[in-house]
Amino acid sequence: MTALLDKSPLGVAVRIARIDWTAMSAEEGRRLREFGLMEGCEITPHHRGSIFSRDPLALTIGRMKVIIRSSQAAAIEVEPA
Amino acid sequence: MTAAIPSIALVGNPNAGKSSLFNALTGARQKIANYPGVTVERKAGHASFADGRPISLIDLPGTYSLTPASLDEAVTRDVILGKQAGETRPDALIIVLDAANLDNHLCFALELLALGLPTVVALNMLDLATRDGLTLDTERLSKELGVPVVPTVAVRKRGLTELLAAVDGAIASHQPRAAVAAPANDASLHQRARAIARVATVDETPVRRWTQRVDNVVLHPIGGLIILVALMFVMFQAVFSWATPFADALEGVIGVVQTWVVGTFPDNFLRGLVVEGLLAGVGAVVVFLPQILILFLFILLLEASGYMTRAAFLMDGLMGKVGLSGRGFIPLLSSFACAVPGIMATRSIPDEKDRLTTILIAPLMTCSARMPVYTLIIGAFIPAQNVGGTPIGLQGLVLFGLFISGIVGALLVAFVLRRSVTKGNATGFMMEMPRYQWPRLNDIAIALWQRAWIFLRRAGTIIAATTVVLWLLLTFPQAPAGQSQVEYSAGGRIASALEVVVKPIGFNHDIALALIPAMAAREVAVSAMATANAIDAGDDEDAMAEALGDRIAGRWSIATALAFLAWFVFAPQCISTIAITKRETNGWKWPMFMVGYLFLLAYAAAGITYWTAVAFGLG
Repeated sequence: MTALLDKSPLGVAVRIARIDWTAMSAEEGRRLREFGLMEGCEITPHHRGSIFSRDPLALTIGRMKVIIRSSQAAAIEVEPA
Repeated sequence: MTAAIPSIALVGNPNAGKSSLFNALTGARQKIANYPGVTVERKAGHASFADGRPISLIDLPGTYSLTPASLDEAVTRDVILGKQAGETRPDALIIVLDAANLDNHLCFALELLALGLPTVVALNMLDLATRDGLTLDTERLSKELGVPVVPTVAVRKRGLTELLAAVDGAIASHQPRAAVAAPANDASLHQRARAIARVATVDETPVRRWTQRVDNVVLHPIGGLIILVALMFVMFQAVFSWATPFADALEGVIGVVQTWVVGTFPDNFLRGLVVEGLLAGVGAVVVFLPQILILFLFILLLEASGYMTRAAFLMDGLMGKVGLSGRGFIPLLSSFACAVPGIMATRSIPDEKDRLTTILIAPLMTCSARMPVYTLIIGAFIPAQNVGGTPIGLQGLVLFGLFISGIVGALLVAFVLRRSVTKGNATGFMMEMPRYQWPRLNDIAIALWQRAWIFLRRAGTIIAATTVVLWLLLTFPQAPAGQSQVEYSAGGRIASALEVVVKPIGFNHDIALALIPAMAAREVAVSAMATANAIDAGDDEDAMAEALGDRIAGRWSIATALAFLAWFVFAPQCISTIAITKRETNGWKWPMFMVGYLFLLAYAAAGITYWTAVAFGLG
């Protein structure tokens, strides 16, 4: 059972099942990979925006914490880790 | 041996602690300039091997791979590959790795190692990794990578001698070899990096609990914003209250020097120039050094502690609504100190339209050059009392209000621009959040000193020159007895012509006179008024002693003072900002646009403020 990262609950570790690379620019895709966000890796979403908006999303990958926009998170399918 | 001085480049991911390592290796012996043709900062410095042979070090912008995403990342690649104009290829690389983030940082390291240059790895911030519960096997890592690995804690100057010795050894024993191909794609590169990180890690406890706990508070959707606003509020209160004793002391020193010059030298042309022109004019600006340094201190502390990225995260939602991204928050916050470094910091924004919009609104952030103007007017017209029994000072509150006006103005302008002249797609916002760190006194002191020096150099050159020219314009021709010298002089007549244009928005002759030289820099408005004041006072010692603030408080209406403040929220009166905008946008089109729209806004804002205040009976 997979869900999209922009909807998945905060604080719960998930595994990336699939990333729709066509939903983002080549540039954005490359930056995601440089952060280590790829199929198979485990991540935990932690914080989502402020009262202004539900954007962006902060997540931990390994020992690193990164920020992405929810439009990118919507292209990432995740499954329970 | 007469070989050239070896040049060694520090390279690594953002947040690997490169700059601290660079500071630790070079101390204060560094030089900041720009790479020719691009506006990327080039940080170079000197150090020496244990036996005294000199080496030169350069600190390259942090990047994630050799495929650049922004201007400064492109410079890193070009320097390493020896393609950067005017820069020789480095003789050796020091790859700086964050010990606590090996699986990610090793990817770029593997790419760099494949180039085949003499290389040493600095396993940096080992103390933080230990704090996070990580135990690493340095020798194993060295074996896997095939190059020496030296553990360092840059901020405590640990491992520096060993690092340089290893570099020396690497250069001496280097066998030229063809570059080997890096793993073919991202996925295999990551796999390899993760495998190496795994074997080099002896023991680890789960991730960064401490940082996570702080983030739960600081990034709270509502609580986090309250903390951010509170921090900024404290910052502006501090600028006012902490700086006062230092500013008073500086003012006292300048006064003593003025009195001494007047008492020691005969009354002639040169004495007038020094006392009324240089000391009154430049002195009026220099007394604001403490406030500017306090502002910079806060910004540097926020940056060094890792909080700045959190602020960017919190602001991204709001900035996204007007078509910007949280990335723009850092350049904009830097613009509170000065728009010039702020505009330069926009280089890290990958989207061109997003970047252009950020550049165009950067001058709306209340830069430190406005502080002299704001403080003078606020000090003269706003009573130094607290707001209704609270510990909040009214003067600080007005200053805070001026800052907020600039921010709101900037957001509205961005909203309009992103739907008209800089229309484009919504941009991305991808950033790494660094761990929280205790800022290092030494790094902050070096940065603060550099800012102070830039400010004083400005005061000594551009401001001194403008003030002297203004003094000459105000001194000649000599007025006949009984007429005001300032109004009779050439400068006074030019001001009278301008007064016609600015009279409808409540500006008087004093202001018209100050506005023209203030084109060079906003704070010159204050030095211009001080110079005019000194000339007007002439030999009348009582008038001379009367502070500039008291004098204008007696001559201007509150409506005029408020209109003057509103004018400076918007007016683009800074040659340096216009020049840097021209350089960053490659042409005159955008700086001209910026100057035009800002003057229109300034005129409108001053007018509306004046007419409203007059309607409320403050005229």
